[in-house]
Amino acid sequence: MTMDATLSTHLQELRRGTVVVASLTVLREPGYGYSLLETLSAAGFEVEANTLYPLLRRLESQGLLTSSWNTDEARPRKFYRTTEQGDAIAAALRDEWARLDKAVTDLDTPGSHQ
Amino acid sequence: MTTLIDRYVLTVLRRVPEPQRTDIDRELRTSIEDAVEARVAGGSPPEAAVEQTLLELGDPDRLADGYADRRQYLIGPEFFDVWRRLLTLLLSTVLPIVVVVTTTIKLLEDATIGAAIGTAVSTVITVGAHMAFWVTLVFAIMERTGVGRSELRGLPRRDWNLGDLPRYEPRATTISELAAGIAWPVLLIVALILQQFTFTEVPVLNPDNWGFWWPYLIVVLILEALYAVWLFRKQTWDHTVTVVNALLAVLFAAPVVWLLSTDRFFNPEWLSTLDWGSTANPGSWLTGIAIAITLVGSAYDVIDVAIRAERSRRGLPTRVPGTGAEYTNPI
Repeated sequence: MTMDATLSTHLQELRRGTVVVASLTVLREPGYGYSLLETLSAAGFEVEANTLYPLLRRLESQGLLTSSWNTDEARPRKFYRTTEQGDAIAAALRDEWARLDKAVTDLDTPGSHQ
Repeated sequence: MTTLIDRYVLTVLRRVPEPQRTDIDRELRTSIEDAVEARVAGGSPPEAAVEQTLLELGDPDRLADGYADRRQYLIGPEFFDVWRRLLTLLLSTVLPIVVVVTTTIKLLEDATIGAAIGTAVSTVITVGAHMAFWVTLVFAIMERTGVGRSELRGLPRRDWNLGDLPRYEPRATTISELAAGIAWPVLLIVALILQQFTFTEVPVLNPDNWGFWWPYLIVVLILEALYAVWLFRKQTWDHTVTVVNALLAVLFAAPVVWLLSTDRFFNPEWLSTLDWGSTANPGSWLTGIAIAITLVGSAYDVIDVAIRAERSRRGLPTRVPGTGAEYTNPI
């Protein structure tokens, strides 16, 4: 494996769970698939449509999102919204993320550990 | 006319469970149209926009797997190494035993070498394929029904603990060695008794020896099994072990070789039914082979145990099977 390929494997592993936190956080305001995709990529999350769309349905089946069809506009859209349970889980995940971020930064700071 | 988008969506839906289809159909279409619209708004021609969008979504089968939350593997990491170990054991140990047994029976039945080789080859293929297939099927089912690994380890649900680590000391006899040490004599005893009644039309071995030699060999074989138990409980390999093992080997091999070389081992009636094609005197060939196997096997056993005992006594490192590494006893 070349260095580039190795790096991209590790990056992929590191990013895997972040889409869940980001989606649950963004969808506190109702949103549909494509809008969420746009929001996430504008925010700097490298997420592909073919992983995001199935992920939304999975989060819905876990009870972290609810959905409803909005047929007011010309194009009917399925809007997702984070549930209370989803919000609680997102908060826990964000805390964990902050903790890991601090821990990694501490490790990287010279002299802060033996 | 079906559009490119229709074809894409239909291909995804084919592999998605029925109840989810309508919903996914609508949602996926909208998402694709949204993306196409955004591209067109960005100045891209409509056809290229559709193509780009679909290319970005990628293989529809993979997308369908994502929707259906299907596992993209047969046996996952939790079971993979158990599956591999079991299959290796079956194919490397059990399969050869089955092949040897069936080929021997075939050889004793009609005794043409060609048919025996045919039996061996077809047994390897069919039994091997069965082993691989059924083992894999069982593991794939366990993977999908969520049977955990702790249930596999033993009937009571318990986690792995330090006591499960094998010991690599030369003096220790493992459970599997004990099992082999008991199973081998028992198999021989069963074979010795059964050959009198089954396997062939007339007994393979000389029935006259039931007067003394066959019961004597059964007693020696029982002693061999007891020796395995004794060795397991003793947990040390020393010169006593070498001597006892050598004594048992002589007690077994000497009468067998003597019976063979004086033509009292095989049943003459059975020998006369043998037909090895061009081989003129199959009886003497069989006798020669049997003598060679008995002598070489016994000598190997005696030397192997003697070396092991000596290494153990000197505290020399032992090889850990399958690792190429050596283990030295901390004294």
